[in-house]
Amino acid sequence: MIAQTLTQTLAQTWSLVARWYSIPLLLLVWQVAVGSGLVESRLLPSPEKVFTALVTDVSDGVLLYHAGVTVSRALTGFLLAALVGIPFAAAMARSALVRNLFEPIFFLGYPVPKIALFPVFTYVFGIGTPSKIAFTFLECLYPIVVACYFGFRSVQTQLIWTAQNCGASRATILGRVILPATLPTIFSGLRVALPVAIIVVVITEMIGDSIGLGYYITIWSTRFTFANVYAAIIVIGICGLLLDQALLLLRHRAVYWQREESA
Amino acid sequence: MKISSASLQHWILPLAVLVAWEVFGRAGMLPRYLSWPSAILAALWELAVTGELFVALAASFYRVAAGFALGTVAGVIVGLGAGVVPGIRHFFDPLVSFLYSIPKIAFLPVFLLLFGLGHASKITIIAFSGFFPVFVASRHAVLSVNKLLIWVARNMGTPERTIFFRVIVPASAPQLFAGVRIGLAHAFVVLFAAELIGSKAGLGTIITSGEEWVRFDLMFAGIACFAALGFASDRILLAVRARVLKGQMIGTEEQVVR
Repeated sequence: MIAQTLTQTLAQTWSLVARWYSIPLLLLVWQVAVGSGLVESRLLPSPEKVFTALVTDVSDGVLLYHAGVTVSRALTGFLLAALVGIPFAAAMARSALVRNLFEPIFFLGYPVPKIALFPVFTYVFGIGTPSKIAFTFLECLYPIVVACYFGFRSVQTQLIWTAQNCGASRATILGRVILPATLPTIFSGLRVALPVAIIVVVITEMIGDSIGLGYYITIWSTRFTFANVYAAIIVIGICGLLLDQALLLLRHRAVYWQREESA
Repeated sequence: MKISSASLQHWILPLAVLVAWEVFGRAGMLPRYLSWPSAILAALWELAVTGELFVALAASFYRVAAGFALGTVAGVIVGLGAGVVPGIRHFFDPLVSFLYSIPKIAFLPVFLLLFGLGHASKITIIAFSGFFPVFVASRHAVLSVNKLLIWVARNMGTPERTIFFRVIVPASAPQLFAGVRIGLAHAFVVLFAAELIGSKAGLGTIITSGEEWVRFDLMFAGIACFAALGFASDRILLAVRARVLKGQMIGTEEQVVR
């Protein structure tokens, strides 16, 4: 009995090690490589230096402040895009006129790298927060509209017919049939758009700003203090992970009848 | 040729924007930084005559093509490997799940210091950022291949190598292309940021120097070329995909987007 539990725990520990060994292993290789002077420690500071920089700047609030700026910009642009994009996609799916008018803009514009327009945005909205939010809005709008459009289009007609047969009003059909049927697709569109929001905000902050994580990266790299650059990169990774988890949680509550797709 | 009302409606909005932009621009009613379409075309012509345009286009195209090719090849090989061999999967999964959500452009300062301001730093950072979506898509594609197909092949005594090349790779190709397409989109975003932040050649420099000389028509000409290059690359990729997946596209709703 005890032997059995023991082998079981051993097997569990072993599978855990087999699944996660690569991160500690690479940290070890990193530490050894820097310690032995094999790579230049200016360019790749040792993990403990990065960790110290991370702890110092998090505890005195500097990194938290810049992270707050970046995350709030990304979230504002993202939420605006969702608020505008989802109803817009519904209108495109329902009305032939709206679809014909906007189809070329969204479908031909989809593969165009919109980042090229960022200089224009800085002229129109200035260098600070408004231009970042406006640009994030634009970049998020495309994946959200396109995904939701296909979602609204592919609602099974039988579902709508059934509801109509039961005498449901148009508003009820929209709210109780079409919207729930589309929710999974809406969430997958949002899940594509959320990392885009963070990427875009960090890039535009790197190009020109005086606050935010992108600025933090640029300023510390011009000072050749790469420990802080890596610390900021770690913070960005954690922010992205947390936001994605929050979205998954929201999806779990909203789409309670369907399990989430495996990531 | 018969023109349907739907295709007419397609053109209304883009044309209206262009015409209004031209009219208001010429009348001087737009802010100075919004150069109008005919002025942008003239600037394009100016750049084309001096040959500057083609030098910049060639530099940008070389960077994006080389970086994208490197990243895609690495992503496909490692991704397919991770799908087939659990050991490779277990090594890469934790690393990728952490790095995936980080904008790869954040590593640009490091790449600039390592590889300098020229082509090499752009190519490597584009490859680095393109690797991840391709890796994730190919790994996922291999794991979601219908097991029945593999069992059937195995039942007939097919060697594992043949199963890999004749069953697993073709079955995962559609998902793989989806990842490659995301990688291409990332490549252009990274290229633009890299050229704007630190570069001595390419379309990004046309855009920044247009800004510096207060020649907004030149800036827009650079932007238009960049957009056109991105759009054309995506269409080429779709054409390649249509050829490679010839048999698998039958009976599916061909979605131009995504």
